[in-house]
Amino acid sequence: MRSIWAIAYKEFIQLARDRRTLGLLIVMPMMQLMIYGYGINTDVKHLPTYVYDQDRSYLSRRLINAFTQSDYFTVKMQARSLPEAYSALDRGLAQSVLVIPPDFTANLVKKKTAQVQLLIDGTDSTPANVALNSSQAIVSAFMQNEKLIPVQVLPIDFRPRLWYNPDLKSTYFMLPGLIGLVLQFLVPMITATAIVREKERGNIEQLLVTPIKPYELILGKIIPYIFVGIFIAVSIITTMHYLFVVPIKGSIITLFSLTLVYLIVCLGIGLWASTVADNQQQASQLVMFLAMPSILLSGFIFPTESMPGWVRDISYFIPMTYFLKIVRGIILKGMGFFDLIDQVVPLLLMAVLVIVFSIKRFSKRMA
Amino acid sequence: MPDIAISADKLTRRFGKFTAVDEISFEIPYGAIFGFLGANGAGKSTTIRMLCGILEPTSGTGKVGSFDVQTQPEQIKSVIGYVSQRFSLYSDLNVIENLIFYGQIYGLEGAALHHRIKEVLALTGLDHFRQRLAGDLSGGWKQKLAIANALLHKPKIIFLDEPTAGLDPLSRRAIWELLYQLAEGGTSLFVTTHYMEEAERCNTIAFISGGKLLKIGQPSALRQELHDQILEVACQPLMKASRLFLTLEGVRGVTVYGTTLNLNVTDEKAVEARVIAAASKEGIVISSIRPIPASLEDVFSDLDTGRPKEN
Repeated sequence: MRSIWAIAYKEFIQLARDRRTLGLLIVMPMMQLMIYGYGINTDVKHLPTYVYDQDRSYLSRRLINAFTQSDYFTVKMQARSLPEAYSALDRGLAQSVLVIPPDFTANLVKKKTAQVQLLIDGTDSTPANVALNSSQAIVSAFMQNEKLIPVQVLPIDFRPRLWYNPDLKSTYFMLPGLIGLVLQFLVPMITATAIVREKERGNIEQLLVTPIKPYELILGKIIPYIFVGIFIAVSIITTMHYLFVVPIKGSIITLFSLTLVYLIVCLGIGLWASTVADNQQQASQLVMFLAMPSILLSGFIFPTESMPGWVRDISYFIPMTYFLKIVRGIILKGMGFFDLIDQVVPLLLMAVLVIVFSIKRFSKRMA
Repeated sequence: MPDIAISADKLTRRFGKFTAVDEISFEIPYGAIFGFLGANGAGKSTTIRMLCGILEPTSGTGKVGSFDVQTQPEQIKSVIGYVSQRFSLYSDLNVIENLIFYGQIYGLEGAALHHRIKEVLALTGLDHFRQRLAGDLSGGWKQKLAIANALLHKPKIIFLDEPTAGLDPLSRRAIWELLYQLAEGGTSLFVTTHYMEEAERCNTIAFISGGKLLKIGQPSALRQELHDQILEVACQPLMKASRLFLTLEGVRGVTVYGTTLNLNVTDEKAVEARVIAAASKEGIVISSIRPIPASLEDVFSDLDTGRPKEN
């Protein structure tokens, strides 16, 4: 017991003197928060739009107004010709072009079908989809408001509503997920390099001839990084809640206890990496290599539900997949421990497996 | 307590087909300084690692303290001190922090730990550097810190793997004075070294080459064995003479020392006559020629020549 504490204390001193690592621990989570909180905004609003209105009538102006008032489209320019409008799309000056033909009002008055064209830049599928869906809603609302179609009693009164994130704010979705991402990246990296450093600098040679046992060494080395992980989690959650005003609907205690389970998985990964790598550089490369698929396949950005079958199968082996469902469930939806049992069980299992496996490997390497 | 601190009986370690240490046997009493000599790769480190309980012997037995290297490696670890060849304390901790850390690992705590740290600091003269980061100490002081560290739990047996490698002569002398002091107190020291004049300071020395123990004994006795077999020749021109003498019958080796040549010879009288005859024929001027006592370096090179080097 005393040896474990001696190692943990020594590790704290070393960490406190290691300015670079300390800086990384504080700067990296904050930087990610700023990037995902302010920088990356997947809410598609105000698509730059060129309008080529050949009708120039009261109704055509009303239609254009309907588009701009929706907040999804912003009129950048009134084009004077079709080629001008097209080239704006080609050159990326506009992401959509609204073309209203000269006979727009005339056709409507004659109760004939009037044609309106919306060209959308489909390069990036996300804004393109938003433009497509919202434009259809805008036009059908426009037809009703202007009494262009007879008022009728609808057979189905369909009222979709968004729960949990009614304004569809991407910060609500991204920032809780960041807890998973940053822990998965930083904790294994720091743990692995801290252990490999002893090997690299030859400290292990002296430790081996002392009566210390492998498990004491491992626990002593891990304890400080549990605190580091908790510090990271707390700093992200606090900033997310107070600066970006993401509400926390569920229990803080559940959130922290399950974060601790995830933290243990991350420590285990770091421990494993330390048994594979011979120097600090290899250790951090290995951790990066493991973090990449986690970011892309865990549902951090792209939902796992939309992945093809075999890719989704891979995501089941990624701890972050489960943890993301847990944090988002607790923070956004107020889910409790037992609502999340399908995520908690695999995560707990992973924690036990990875720790047992790494300790075995570590002891073998040390002897 | 038995008189024998460290013993090895046909201690052997193989790595695959390669035999790193081949049936070596010796006994070291308490209070003795045991010099373990050999070229790089001769098997010194493997022997030390087996005796420290971190490498299992393939066959043979050994005892350190009263513990068996095969079956009680953990007990051995708590009664020995170890000073490694490469500085392996924490360079980002200061002197005191390093000592506190290792003291705790050895089970010391509280007042007893601080008292002991004070003692080893006084013994090694590290008092002024208490707050200095270990990484900022000079080579000699680093080594003293490593020794202070190895002394914390008052071991009666200390292994030192080339404790003076790369140090300046003054630091080396300081380290050796410290080692003498320890040996006087009854501690037995197992020291590996490359430096011959250091080997002379040991009570017993052993030569290892290719994993085999070639010679073991007191330095004076080993020198005695070769006593009348070194011929010192002062002559001009030196290099020409050294090439010439090497071709003579009965000369096993020639070493150049400044203005003289040392010839390892089998029969001193016969060779002396041959050397004088050959020199006058080739126009080499001999100013003096005399038999001298062998230094350990002569013993060492004599033992190592004629044996195939491994690798």
